[in-house]
Amino acid sequence: MGTQVKDVVIKPEAPNTLLLDKHADYIAAYGSKKDDYEYTLSEYLRMSGIYWGLTVMDLMGQLSRMNREEIIEFIKSCQHDCGGISASTGHDPHLLYTLSAVQILSLYDSINVIDVDKVVDYVKGLQQEDGSFAGDKWGEIDTRFSFCAVATLALLGKLDVINMDKAVGFVLSCMNFDGGFGCRPGSESHAGQIYCCTGFLSITGQLHQVNADLLGWWLCERQLPSGGLNGRPEKLPDVCYSWWVLASLKIIGRIHWIDKAKLRSFILACQDEETGGFADRPGDMVSSLWNLSHTILHMHIYFACDFSRTCHSLYRAYHSLRYILASVIYFHPGGSFPHSVWCGWSVFAGR
Amino acid sequence: MHGRVKVKSTAQQEEEKRKEREKKLKAFVSARDAVLRKRSAGEHDEEALQLTQQLLSSNPDFATLWNYRREVLLQLETSREKDEVQKLYESELHFIEACLKVNPKSYGCWHHRSWVNTRLPQPDWTRELGLCDRCLSLDERNFHCWDYRRVVVKESGVSVEQELQFTDRLIGSNFSNYSSWHYRSTLLPQLHPQPAPDSIHSHRVCEEQLLKEYELAHNAFFTDPNDQSAWFYYRWLLGRGVCVCSLCLSQAQSEGLMLVLDGQPQQVEWRSTHPRLRHSPVWLCDLPPGSVSDISNEHNLTVHWTEKYTHRDCALYTGCAESWCRDSATDQELFRSELSVEKSSVLQAELQSCNQLLELEPQNKWCLLTIILLMRALDPLGHEKETLAHFQTLKEVDPMRSSYYSDLCSKFLIENTILKMEYAEVRVFSLSNKNLTTLCHLDQLLLVTHINLSSNQLLRLPPQFAMLQCLEVLEADDNAIESLEGLYHLPKLEEVSLRNNRILFAIQSKCFIRNPFSAFRASAWFDLVSRSQYSSLINSYRLCRIMEGQQI
Repeated sequence: MGTQVKDVVIKPEAPNTLLLDKHADYIAAYGSKKDDYEYTLSEYLRMSGIYWGLTVMDLMGQLSRMNREEIIEFIKSCQHDCGGISASTGHDPHLLYTLSAVQILSLYDSINVIDVDKVVDYVKGLQQEDGSFAGDKWGEIDTRFSFCAVATLALLGKLDVINMDKAVGFVLSCMNFDGGFGCRPGSESHAGQIYCCTGFLSITGQLHQVNADLLGWWLCERQLPSGGLNGRPEKLPDVCYSWWVLASLKIIGRIHWIDKAKLRSFILACQDEETGGFADRPGDMVSSLWNLSHTILHMHIYFACDFSRTCHSLYRAYHSLRYILASVIYFHPGGSFPHSVWCGWSVFAGR
Repeated sequence: MHGRVKVKSTAQQEEEKRKEREKKLKAFVSARDAVLRKRSAGEHDEEALQLTQQLLSSNPDFATLWNYRREVLLQLETSREKDEVQKLYESELHFIEACLKVNPKSYGCWHHRSWVNTRLPQPDWTRELGLCDRCLSLDERNFHCWDYRRVVVKESGVSVEQELQFTDRLIGSNFSNYSSWHYRSTLLPQLHPQPAPDSIHSHRVCEEQLLKEYELAHNAFFTDPNDQSAWFYYRWLLGRGVCVCSLCLSQAQSEGLMLVLDGQPQQVEWRSTHPRLRHSPVWLCDLPPGSVSDISNEHNLTVHWTEKYTHRDCALYTGCAESWCRDSATDQELFRSELSVEKSSVLQAELQSCNQLLELEPQNKWCLLTIILLMRALDPLGHEKETLAHFQTLKEVDPMRSSYYSDLCSKFLIENTILKMEYAEVRVFSLSNKNLTTLCHLDQLLLVTHINLSSNQLLRLPPQFAMLQCLEVLEADDNAIESLEGLYHLPKLEEVSLRNNRILFAIQSKCFIRNPFSAFRASAWFDLVSRSQYSSLINSYRLCRIMEGQQI
């Protein structure tokens, strides 16, 4: 009797070291393949894709390989009259891509190339009566958007424009029996939503409302025998969940409840030795930017020592990556780090 | 792009694939460009619907196309009669259903369906419920569908009872049924609420129903001891509902506290014990100078917590330097809820059954953990020894979560020590050599004068440690303490012993981050830095033993 645990098996020949150069090359080349099928089909999330790529390159000290001017011009062309920003030219504005754009511009210290006041108005205008946030004018409600809203405003220093009490109240109303959070009140707990809600509560100074012990348990139970993490019970492990789950654990101060070594070997096994990038689980097709950025970020979050628990730091970290890079180098076992990353570090060492 | 297995292929197969993709790409690009051109030209017609239909069928995440489609539909509405509008949107529902067959997890699809129902003159909720049933029978974990179902149920007035029965059916027939248990957890408090003290909407279930739920969950994990969903649900059933942080105030709300001395309200400033604790269960204020200097008289103090309409009184008797009023941890049901006779006997029986299950499945971690939780609910002090033994087994059968079990065990040991301290009516807290990995409930140690945490595995004295405002003696030798954040303005602290810890390690690692080359210089350099950190510690206390044995 008994259900089999849904999991994967890692083959002995799977990669077990971090192939940083391959990943950097993969991303640097990604944008140039504009006639690539997957690239074109993912246009609807281009702004986020750029953000993920840039973050990873910055973490690896290779941000200069990306075309800053081109990206900034692109963002300018994506701001609409209402203030919101779209994923790409010709697409409609949405909170998701407004956040990504603000994150990119923060990374590049160029926030004023867009109309910041209008962005703030756009975000504020999406808050509903019950404190929730719609993603855009078409009204889809989701705690993801609560997170996007406060993260955007926090980066712009304008958290005070929204009704904070109601915003917090709505997110808390999405807390479930297991300590987790879902999309809307009554929705099932899911690692991605948990990341958004704990991130939200951290930014808004309300982490004490989370039952950290209960939620931490649910989160650490995401780790499967293979070492990988799933997003909710009875699901397969997926490398992107390393990010959602791990970041959530870090925010609530329970990151040590995951077996670090086993997770690390799972993630390394997800690498594609030929093309660079990470698949969602060992043996699958590379899911490019999504997994790569989340994986690298997660690994750095895990080993970071100068991190405070708040998402604020996480956000400062996104565009102030020296701390992370330094921490990685300090904690990387054996010190067998690719030369390029070490060179990158020496540039930052002066700070 | 998730979940596609990578398969190696021949050069010819590669070439064929490449040609195929190029063809697909061209088709997509031309359709996309045509659509966006039409939209820029402001055309909201049937052709727009056709073009977007073609693209959305295989690209349902292309959100802008759904937006365009909605604009077109709204435009068409204005020139049609009600029954035509009904047909228009009904055919839209057919289209969405086709999209959902291809991609049942597209946010865009589900949201569009919800939107269509707000435009339909006569929505058919029975049909929508049927769609949900079909969708869930294919994938019981599809949260998009569950969320949509909740909307349908609300709009159509399906009863909570009916939905509860729906979960009964699903739980009975399926293994991967976490979504159903979750739904149940939201339905039960609506149908059988536990009356709450204030009129807050209760998230707890009344006892009668609760006892039935134990049986339901119990049957599930006895049928399949690896059905983790039932174990998660069971833990919720065993827990207490109200967040213990009912005493937490935030800095902004400290005006909610009012102090009255001998009948006179006092102007005082409330502060937290540590700058990092902005939301705290412990608040301090200084009495106005001279207000209680006359110890030859009795003084009466009252603290009002205006937000919760409650207060506490305390009398400072003649000749006494200190006084207190405290709710006991037992009375407050801080660590476990009060048990009725009925509930107690049910939980006893549950404990027995779980022990029987453990004999059949000695490696089952869910069972082990649940036994621990049951023992804590019934008799935390009486079961202490068994609890520790079970935690040891847990760490062996589920090593990935050893840190979790260590922390949880530490928490339970601290709770027990607090209870023992209360019964003995002493102000000494001693938990040495107990494999403690974390500290908690520090707000309950406010009155403690002596604390012994030696020979454990503590990594830090966290900011919350600053709540030990009466502490005079701290012994925490032989741990792995790196951070002393909590040793902050403890007004009565005189003796500190922190030998054999890792205080130097933390200082050293901070130095290294700032300047990686420091590792290659003489250790004299960081000696200098660390000594200055030490000197402030050493100077603070009458007796301070920290220099010896710090590990690097």
